[in-house]
Amino acid sequence: MENLIVEGSHGVYFVPYVNFNAETGECELAGESYLEDTVLFYNPLLQWLENYINKKREAIKFNIKLTYFNTSSSRCLLDILNMLKDYEDEGGEVAVNWYYDEEDIDMQEEIEDYEIDTGLHIHLIPSTDLVKHDDSEQDEED
Amino acid sequence: MEANNLEKKVLDTNKFDLFKYHSLFSQNVQISYKGPFDGKVLSVLGTYIKFTIGKNPKASKKIFNIFIELAQNIAHYSAEKNSFGVEEGVGSLVIAEYPEYYAFSTGNIVKNEDVIVIIEKIELINSLDREQLREYKRVQRNLPQREKGNANIGLIQVALTSANPLDIEVTLIDDKYSFFAITVKVDK
Repeated sequence: MENLIVEGSHGVYFVPYVNFNAETGECELAGESYLEDTVLFYNPLLQWLENYINKKREAIKFNIKLTYFNTSSSRCLLDILNMLKDYEDEGGEVAVNWYYDEEDIDMQEEIEDYEIDTGLHIHLIPSTDLVKHDDSEQDEED
Repeated sequence: MEANNLEKKVLDTNKFDLFKYHSLFSQNVQISYKGPFDGKVLSVLGTYIKFTIGKNPKASKKIFNIFIELAQNIAHYSAEKNSFGVEEGVGSLVIAEYPEYYAFSTGNIVKNEDVIVIIEKIELINSLDREQLREYKRVQRNLPQREKGNANIGLIQVALTSANPLDIEVTLIDDKYSFFAITVKVDK
């Protein structure tokens, strides 16, 4: 099974950084998510997870470091988290870590809402590196 | 000579009164835009909002989030299109700054038959407290998508992000269309 890697970018739309590792089961989704066609972008991510769950059946560590996502993306994130919850319910080992800026109250509420929605336990990890990540992206663009 | 004069006359009657337009805006207005809400325009405006109101990072993040949701509504649902060949809807946007808050407004033409649904939705949103609003968002987000990629929670998210009631104004244009304006406050 192949790894799934998408280099994030900041152009007309914001493409998040994706690194799903088939060897370690460690998956990262970072940056910002605002896409021209949200479903088209997220379908391969869901497909990859489905393959991993059905074929490898090993532990998944899912790390989210998104600093922004629009409501269209939030619907796709819900699909991902629901898939992880179903895997956990079937006996799969799942850990979800959500890195967030501790001053971002809206993001904290958003993560709580996902916990209530999915029944999945989400580890909230306050972080100060996330804002820096955004700045460096902007610098590269300049 | 005569043809030349005629041409001048025609030009004059079509000329846009830029002074009148400019004078409409108070000192509080920071940004105004009228035109198609396509991806490239949104990108420029969004980046500008993100980094110019950056002196107040909390407010700029909120305004950016609100901007994306309201702008996408206009892009997808405005009943007005322009003739430059873009399919996205046409609308207006104004960001004004006051001592205590930013006021973010967007407006666009909608079909009269769609107006009631929007007004009812916004009245419901305004009647809910924060916890009820979060629950409403979760319920809506779990519903099957009516349209691909549309979570149908944009206005709910706008209300949550702004933490203020949504202020709407609907002006009847004719028996088919109305102008729909929404203003959202973001406290400083």
